[in-house]
Amino acid sequence: MDELTSVFIQESREQLAEMEAGLLVLEQAPDDPGNAELINGIFRAAHTVKGASGVIECHFIESFMHKVENVLDRLRNAEIGVSGELASLLLKCGDHLNTLIGVLEAGFDSPGEADRAIGDALLAELSARYIAPDTNGSKVPVAQQEEVLASGGGIVVTDSWHISVRFGRDVLRGGMDPLSFLRYLASLGEILAIETISDAMPSADTMDPESCYLGFEIRLQTRSSKADIERVFDFVREDCELRILPPNSKLADYLKLIEELPEDDMRLGEILVRCGALTQAELDAGLCEQKGFVPAAPAEHGEIAQSAQQIGEILVDNKVVHREVVDAAVGKQTRVSEKKAVEARLIRVQADKLDQLIDLVGEMVIAGASANLLARRSGRSELVESTSVLSRLVESIRDAALQLRMVQIGETFSRFNRVVRDVSKEIGKEIDLVIEGAETELDKSVVEKIGDPLMHLVRNAIDHGIEPTATRLQNGKDCRGRIGLNAYHDSGSVVIEVSDDGGGLPKEKIRRKALERGLIQPEQVLGDQDIINLIFEPGFSTAEQVTNISGRGVGMDVVRRNIQSLRGSIDVKSEEGSGTSFIIRLPLTLAIIDGFLVGIGHAAYVIPLDMVVECIELDRRGIDRNFLNLRGEVLPFIRLRELFALADAAPPRENVVVVQYAGQKAGIVVDQLMGEFQTVIKPLSSIFSRLHGIGGSTILGTGEVALILDVQALVQRAIRIEEKALASPPASSN
Amino acid sequence: MGQLVQRQGSNWDAALAAAAVAAAPQQYLTFTLGGEMFAVAILNVKEIIEFGSLTEIPMTPPFIRGVINLRGAVVPVIDLACRFGGRAAEVARRTCIVIVELEEDEQKHDIGVMVDAVSEVLEIARADIEPPPTFGARIRADFISGMGKINGKFVIILNVAKALSASEIALLTTMGDPDAPNEGEP
Repeated sequence: MDELTSVFIQESREQLAEMEAGLLVLEQAPDDPGNAELINGIFRAAHTVKGASGVIECHFIESFMHKVENVLDRLRNAEIGVSGELASLLLKCGDHLNTLIGVLEAGFDSPGEADRAIGDALLAELSARYIAPDTNGSKVPVAQQEEVLASGGGIVVTDSWHISVRFGRDVLRGGMDPLSFLRYLASLGEILAIETISDAMPSADTMDPESCYLGFEIRLQTRSSKADIERVFDFVREDCELRILPPNSKLADYLKLIEELPEDDMRLGEILVRCGALTQAELDAGLCEQKGFVPAAPAEHGEIAQSAQQIGEILVDNKVVHREVVDAAVGKQTRVSEKKAVEARLIRVQADKLDQLIDLVGEMVIAGASANLLARRSGRSELVESTSVLSRLVESIRDAALQLRMVQIGETFSRFNRVVRDVSKEIGKEIDLVIEGAETELDKSVVEKIGDPLMHLVRNAIDHGIEPTATRLQNGKDCRGRIGLNAYHDSGSVVIEVSDDGGGLPKEKIRRKALERGLIQPEQVLGDQDIINLIFEPGFSTAEQVTNISGRGVGMDVVRRNIQSLRGSIDVKSEEGSGTSFIIRLPLTLAIIDGFLVGIGHAAYVIPLDMVVECIELDRRGIDRNFLNLRGEVLPFIRLRELFALADAAPPRENVVVVQYAGQKAGIVVDQLMGEFQTVIKPLSSIFSRLHGIGGSTILGTGEVALILDVQALVQRAIRIEEKALASPPASSN
Repeated sequence: MGQLVQRQGSNWDAALAAAAVAAAPQQYLTFTLGGEMFAVAILNVKEIIEFGSLTEIPMTPPFIRGVINLRGAVVPVIDLACRFGGRAAEVARRTCIVIVELEEDEQKHDIGVMVDAVSEVLEIARADIEPPPTFGARIRADFISGMGKINGKFVIILNVAKALSASEIALLTTMGDPDAPNEGEP
């Protein structure tokens, strides 16, 4: 596949996601007056896909999107009203477009028979209900528009395009005939009126017969888009001034047009009236007001947006048009230039190039650490100084490089709007999805891998979490269920919460099921949280009937394993009757962290610095149990030497590193504290995939390998060991 | 798991079969382990390095000696003698680490094998390779891919894909793990 096509596929998917997001909002609130901009956004996305598919000559997408775009265009021009049904239909069209993109991606020339049938059916439905000429189209002018008209004619009522073109002097010399453009224009639709502007024509003696002095004001009735009309003038685009006003443009747009054109305002106004674009009354009102408030509004090209804003503000002040309408108008004008600017600010980079950069930065950090070490050993102060400057720079480069891979989680979250909509419809529950913290950033590789586990959790929440509407009403709850997705940063990790306000996890049922499956023994005594945690066991599923949404019994243990493979953890909190929330804790990045280096015996270990709260010396006096008094607080601690079963004896002085995770504090007893260390995480071989307590490895300045401690897993391990030791004689629990 | 190993085994057999079709004698690296001679197909061997500084990994079975820094990559080192049920190998003057590349689950990974001494690279014709004995080798039969005849003596040709199967070793690391039983039953 050539590069152009792959860029197209990627971009179309992005546009499609945008379209879908817009349509979902539209479906929820079809009557919201703020929808105009939303519809514009959807239209733009569809239009971009159509245009781009034309460029890469993918005709099956182009022709499909053309029809969809037509409907969107009518929607945009308020020829048809917004309705939930239309939005649903358009969503289906979006799905079909996705299928078509898939077809293109797979390298086929055209979609298969079945896909084509689906597409045709969708198009048939669209055209039957929304493109059919003058059916119910005119009956739904948006309420807002009526109001505006009543208050003074902010929108010019005409169903035709207004095209204003001034050909450049060199058009004839370039071999172009203005007449041929007009003929071609006529092929797009019907030219209702045309006025020739010959004001630029000098007197006969100074006139150059080879120059073109003509301009035209044209009223065109057509179903074509603005881009199609612009395309007519493609050949002379550089060499002519072209202005196109869509049907039902605002009066202000006409005024701006008049203002910008070189001809005398009044005369031009008359011409517009003559060709029927404006009525005399509209013109008088507009010009009068404009003169009164902005006597010398500069109409330089660069200030289009600004001057439009001024006119717009007058109109708003006079309550002629709504603020949104003006904003939309101003937005429309600045959009083109802005869009270009945004494109210039973003560069598409292949993900593997970024990965390579991060790898190199990682190697640089290691090499830098080794240079630092050698410099310090040499004892030459200039050398130490220069390497320390170097390592500070390396640190900044590291941060900047990692920042490159940070993406907002919002995109992942917003996918679930659709999921919740579809699935809840399918099973007949009413559910709202509430998204918070969409701007929270985390590493791209984490974002990619968290999608599936989140999908599982959300589907579970819809299927098992939220009760049927009848049950909800019975329990005095709002009939609409609520699923929340929330993300935020918390002490060096990212926390993602999936919560629902459903029935909570039924502890009795879980216990019963666990007994049935032989996961626990009848005499086993379990705390509430222990019972809840049973859902993470392999092969556990409580869904009494297996639905196609969830309940295949491969659920939560897979979720947990996926999250653990990201060096993360998952906890569940549940209260029967009021809901469940899953709390996923993930590391910010998978590549490089700030670590705290500690030594035990000969080996060095790294504790993630974000977790380290403080370090204290272990006071041996009177300690034979594994906790100490930290300023009046009981702090349990782990002796790593014991946990790791190291043979050598402890040195006379030991230190305690106080760590904090998920709101809990614990101490870790080590021999030496060796200070902060930039830690490049080297994954451990898959051999160690089931080893809990060691999160990864890194390479020290000396070239030796140091292990990164997974504090949370170590604490869990210590708890288990103690539980086992205390359960004497060993209960039949295992 | 069993399925997985089986699949790998068949891959291995397929590789052997392919080699047989080529009809050329294959090259093997021979080395000693606890006084005994072993061989591995040379295609699996990436390099041989001197036994150097090694970082031990706590909470793992004794046959996992630790990890080494191989030019920036962290590679685990297995003590094969210990894996076969013998005692942990002593580090001596000629102790080496043979870096073996394996493919498992469509992922390539390197494993270091600690051996007492590396001998030589030999060609063994297909005809000189006998099937493994069903018992008596004191090594799990599936770890052996064949018995090569060299100068009238037998050397054990190892099936490294099985002897060093990452998923199997990963399972073994959970032994003695207090969390481990919790994986299956709490």
